[in-house]
Amino acid sequence: MKKNRMRKLNKILEIPEEVYSDVPKISLIGFDEMIIENYKGIVEYEEFFIRISTYKGMICINGYNLNLETMTNDDIRVTGKIESFEFERITD
Amino acid sequence: MFIKRLMNYINGYLRIVVEGYYIERFINICRSKQYMMWNIKKDNDIHLTLNIEIKNFKEICRIAKKTQCKIKIKSKRGLPFLLNKYKKRKVFALCLVVILFAIIFSSNFVWNIEIIEENGATIENIMGDIQEAGLTIGELKSKIDTKEIINKVRLERDDIAWMGIELKGTNAIVRLVKADEKPEIIDEDEYCNIVSNKNGVITKINAQDGTANVKVGDTVSVGDVLINGWMEGKYTGIRYVHAKGEIEARVWYTMNKTIPYNATEKQVTGNTEEHYALKFNNFKINFPKGVSNFKFYDTIETENKIRLFSNFYLPISIVKTTYQEYEEVQKTYSVEEAKNLGIQEIEAKLESQIENKENIVNKNINTYENENGIDIYVTYEVLETIGTNEKIVF
Repeated sequence: MKKNRMRKLNKILEIPEEVYSDVPKISLIGFDEMIIENYKGIVEYEEFFIRISTYKGMICINGYNLNLETMTNDDIRVTGKIESFEFERITD
Repeated sequence: MFIKRLMNYINGYLRIVVEGYYIERFINICRSKQYMMWNIKKDNDIHLTLNIEIKNFKEICRIAKKTQCKIKIKSKRGLPFLLNKYKKRKVFALCLVVILFAIIFSSNFVWNIEIIEENGATIENIMGDIQEAGLTIGELKSKIDTKEIINKVRLERDDIAWMGIELKGTNAIVRLVKADEKPEIIDEDEYCNIVSNKNGVITKINAQDGTANVKVGDTVSVGDVLINGWMEGKYTGIRYVHAKGEIEARVWYTMNKTIPYNATEKQVTGNTEEHYALKFNNFKINFPKGVSNFKFYDTIETENKIRLFSNFYLPISIVKTTYQEYEEVQKTYSVEEAKNLGIQEIEAKLESQIENKENIVNKNINTYENENGIDIYVTYEVLETIGTNEKIVF
């Protein structure tokens, strides 16, 4: 009930959703750079494959030469030749 | 982001290699403790290279031990490591400080005087006067009083219309505007004669005020009175006036030259040799010692002052001496060639003297052949108005 009310308030104030909730925001810049905000941790990291866990599920990235350029507390930047990415939803 | 990187550089950072099977766990633990990590790259299955800050290194070592990873430092980067490297080089640091102080010290002096003359006019001996007034190379900048120097120089000389001194860095820029020479004007009220300023024969004389002293056909030389500044009347007696009138005369310009048949002429071969030297004030160091190997040569010296910035001159200059080789070529002219050469030369010289070439009436060329050469006399006959005012002194 309380959560619902907060959500309404935030919607009125037009605060971006990724700021007040745990919903990950994924931005792609070209095919070589990907920024993921609101992530939980790294599950797997290989040069050709990265799995990042978020509160809504997993993000799997396929490609070559994948680097974790910067890692801060709430966002991560992946650079390299990204070929594809897919999601694994957590079903409630 | 850039500021963050800069701070990292100033604080120093490490690039480490982590080896192990639980690398993801290692990353996640580091992340949960909020250690800053960047440029993470996995080379193969068990090899991870990443950058970390210095202050977190010990903690990260402990985490690595926990996750059974090995840590190797690949490189140390940043300012603290760089300074550490130069810690032992005390002489280097000392020299750096000394040079810095020397530059600061030398910036208090004037090391170059640049003279800029407006409109390309040349003012002779101005450098000497400026130096006499107190603006010399090597003078303390604080001691130079530009106003006083300007006053001194302007008192000394009357051919300067405007003068400005600007001290920029170690360079003193002197800007000058040349004054036009003032013509000698005699007041209309004052009594004056008209006096010849050239030698010639009068062809026309027309006295408006005053009495003509010469007739047409008279030969006059410089200083002769042409029109007297007085008038004589039957009843009034002698009355002094300001003489006015037009006088036209034939004026001759003559020049002569001897052209020898056998002449040695310089011919530049195109071979040059360059010698450099360092110069501190009056102390000179030659780099290749000795003089040129050429038998006959001209020397051209150019001096370049060393400067740090556009207006920061140092008291050091590089002197470049160029030796230009020439050969002495024996040349023989025939009579006709020598004659033409001489006439051309003289004509060019004479014509630069004559103001109005349209008034040239006659041209006269005389040649006398000798044993060794040919004497050439060229005379131009020009119709000119002559005469200048001269005050009558009682």
